[in-house]
Amino acid sequence: MFHYLKRLDWFLFILMLLLLLGGVLAIYSASTTKIGSEFHRVDYYYKQIIWIAIALLLFLGVMRIQYSIIDLLVVPSYILSLLLLVVVLFMPEIKGSHRWISLGLFNIQPSELAKLTTIMFIARVISKPGITDWRILVRTFIIVFIPASLILLEPDLGSAMTFVVIFLVMLASSDLPNYFLIIMLSPIITVITSFISPVVFILYMIILTAILYRTHLSWIIIGINTACNTFIFFITPYIWYGLKTYQRNRILSFIDPSRDPLGAGYQIIQSKIAIGSGKLLGKGFLLGSQKNLNFLPEHHTDFIFSVIGEELGFIGCLLTLILFYLFLYRIAKSITFLKRKELHFISVGILAILTFQIFVNIGMNLGLVPTTGIPLPFISYGGSSLIINVFSVSLILKFLNERSIFD
Amino acid sequence: MYNTPKTSRISIFWISCLFLLLLTSIFHLQIFKGDEYAAISEKNFVRLKTILPMRGEIFDRRYRPIALNKPSFSLYIIPGQIKDRKKVSKFIDDYFRSSQVEIDEIISNSKFRMFQEILLIQNIPYEKVVFLSEHINDFPSLTCKSESIRNYIYNNHFVGYVGRISEDEYENLKKTGYSINSIIGKTGLEKFYESLLVGKSGYDILQVDSSGRNLQFFKHNLHKDPVDGADIILTIDNELQNFINTILPEDKNCAVVVCDTRTGGILAYVSKPEFDPNLFAAGLSMEEWNNLINDPRNPMLDRIIHGTYPPGSTYKPIVATLGLEDSLITPTEKLSECTGGLQIGDRFFKCWHEEGHGRLEIINAIKYSCDVFFYDLSTRIELDRMKEFTCQNRLTVKTGIDLIGERDGFFPDLKWYKESFGKYAGIIGPKVNLAIGQGEILCTPLQLCCYFAAIANDGLWKQPHLMNRTIEETCSKEFIPWEENLPVSEKNIKLLQNALLKAVNERYGTGSAARLNNITIYGKTGSAENHMGEETHAWFAGYAVWEEPEIAFTVFLENAGHGGSVAAPLASRIVFFYDKMKRK
Repeated sequence: MFHYLKRLDWFLFILMLLLLLGGVLAIYSASTTKIGSEFHRVDYYYKQIIWIAIALLLFLGVMRIQYSIIDLLVVPSYILSLLLLVVVLFMPEIKGSHRWISLGLFNIQPSELAKLTTIMFIARVISKPGITDWRILVRTFIIVFIPASLILLEPDLGSAMTFVVIFLVMLASSDLPNYFLIIMLSPIITVITSFISPVVFILYMIILTAILYRTHLSWIIIGINTACNTFIFFITPYIWYGLKTYQRNRILSFIDPSRDPLGAGYQIIQSKIAIGSGKLLGKGFLLGSQKNLNFLPEHHTDFIFSVIGEELGFIGCLLTLILFYLFLYRIAKSITFLKRKELHFISVGILAILTFQIFVNIGMNLGLVPTTGIPLPFISYGGSSLIINVFSVSLILKFLNERSIFD
Repeated sequence: MYNTPKTSRISIFWISCLFLLLLTSIFHLQIFKGDEYAAISEKNFVRLKTILPMRGEIFDRRYRPIALNKPSFSLYIIPGQIKDRKKVSKFIDDYFRSSQVEIDEIISNSKFRMFQEILLIQNIPYEKVVFLSEHINDFPSLTCKSESIRNYIYNNHFVGYVGRISEDEYENLKKTGYSINSIIGKTGLEKFYESLLVGKSGYDILQVDSSGRNLQFFKHNLHKDPVDGADIILTIDNELQNFINTILPEDKNCAVVVCDTRTGGILAYVSKPEFDPNLFAAGLSMEEWNNLINDPRNPMLDRIIHGTYPPGSTYKPIVATLGLEDSLITPTEKLSECTGGLQIGDRFFKCWHEEGHGRLEIINAIKYSCDVFFYDLSTRIELDRMKEFTCQNRLTVKTGIDLIGERDGFFPDLKWYKESFGKYAGIIGPKVNLAIGQGEILCTPLQLCCYFAAIANDGLWKQPHLMNRTIEETCSKEFIPWEENLPVSEKNIKLLQNALLKAVNERYGTGSAARLNNITIYGKTGSAENHMGEETHAWFAGYAVWEEPEIAFTVFLENAGHGGSVAAPLASRIVFFYDKMKRK
């Protein structure tokens, strides 16, 4: 019955279990407050254990069923997640945005589901034999654009950014020539240069043209690209100053949170103080004083890394990073074995979002990147993200397990 | 291009780069700057300090105070800094009225706010503040702060009171800027206009270390001034309010409401017995609270909008106009002879006047308040139509006054009788009773006042309200009442006004005790029988006219006797006093 367990990639699986276990301990500590010699506790860790149990059952399920069933469900589940993303907009606001669908006992976050279904759908599209470059580009764009814009409406900038990452990484790993990506990314740098100086812009254009010339693109396309970028360079200031002051402030606060000391900036400072004060060995499990001060309202979810940093110190952080690194490394290595394109692309997409979320979340705790409300995979409290992440890894484990069948 | 080993290599390269970046950053934070951050974390240099706004004050229509802020001292506790809980509780127990149990409760309620200051005791007398400042060093968890509390100038029911935010309120409101120590309107105007009165907190972010060096975590906006709450000007007249308070008998439960017929603004709002809202503002002890709620006369009950009573004969104008509007009777038609009562079916319904009124037409029936006339008229009216018409005249429905928890009152319909008394319940008897405002019908004194104000305005009903306008820094908002026309034609309104005039100003009119020489009072008495006591509820509702109608009023006394002899004289004294105020 459990024959598939024999060939399971136990290393990857155990790494995931260790991360989940570490997560439960971290949540346990984050939801505990020490007063004098007494401890007060909220039961988040308990709920997280239940979520893990459900996720592991799901893992067993994924390993047992035929891949053809999952394959059949790719498009319907993509459509379902779009529907849920529409439904969520009509849900009551929680903390200023519409991210959760309340089901009484628990809430579900459709954007988490949408990430995975989008990856699977893109993988399906770009692995079709004989598809032209332009079709890949347009279809992938549409598949990403719909959920990403729905999520922006919630509004949830962090999750919407994840879709941009999915889009770029999956295109980069596809059959699409690299100059497509270069051409697509070039306007972003143009916008940045328009805030610096025209000299930088001209230098940039020369370099861009040189790179594109080396890819043997026709001069017409290079010319159009240069013209578009020049147009964007000149239009950007008009758009920027056409915005309302509060809109500009919101964008600036996003780029530089210390502009908004009461909001995100305050959280980042408190998170940095918490982590920094952990020093080499930390203040001890359950004993973080910054955590007890309750400066960070989200320390069992988005700011859980600050609890680890404060209580377990550099050693704890290092251990967490090593676990994550080994985990991602293992997935990246395994990709080599997946010869079937679609499975390969799915795995690359999953690897990309896991890496992105881990980096952005820890980076946010350290004050390296703006606060965006992205949870730390496997560690942060929260059912939707946990289930989807475990499910994603289960898929990769399944692909590896059954690669001989797929080849 | 699609190539698995290459993709794998590139992925590993990027992942390694990102993790190296994270690792360097963590190393920098924890190893290089660890000591610095540890020092900051121990002393809590970076702290957010909220600056509380002043709550808006409340004034009467001539800018005389009703609710003001006054400075006071409060004691706070930081549960996370308690060293010896027993010692602290004993200290507080000995010198303040807070008991040990209460303190334990406060501490266990604040699980996740262990290092926030939590309000323990408000309004500490000055001698105790001095005493406290001598001993406060022994208890690092206690702090004493000077702030402001509410001071209510006189006892009343409309202004309500403020109190400390409850756990439930805090859960609902914390996103809108309330803290666990916030003071919030609990009832009355304080609650209704909470969003106007409360203002907006300012803040200070302290980021200075022990040697006064600015840590410079933030570049901008370290200080923001609070925005004080808006002051509110009411339509209430303190002088009139005060006068009414003095003339009402102390031993009776009563309710008097006076409104300006031209605007719908309430001039006086007196419900007796009353309580002292300052008790709540200062924090009520368990004993004081029990005294208030166990008082048999129920001083907490606002009899003007929370008390519902049978209106008695003050309801008769409704039945009369319904008869006229639906053409069930003509203005000159005389109904059955009053011989001190009327036999309907197998029951004899008594008139209040045992000698009988003889045969009356509608105007005189109102003037003499003859029950028999209305008994007879009621036999021509469908019960559900009577309910519909009553509600259209805005009796037994909420008036929409700017206060919390106003009650509808009650008017039974066919369905209700069937549900309560079974399918074959006779409704003739109850209907006859309802026609004279007795039985199941219940309405509030305010509803009657608004109804009589509408009669004075030739049928234009105006929403009663207490707020006149707000005074804010930059603007001032006025209260705009809604209006609607009662379903009564002008002809019938004139007839009704005439009847109400006769009831007060002609000989043997039931309200003649309210008559004044120089001011024309229109009104209707009521003496409502009830289960609560031997004596009837005394009602007098009406309005007074100078060049034009100016004020409408309801005077209501629970179990005090007849409206004509008890309530009507009080009404005339109120009108007389108002006239004197006008002349000043």
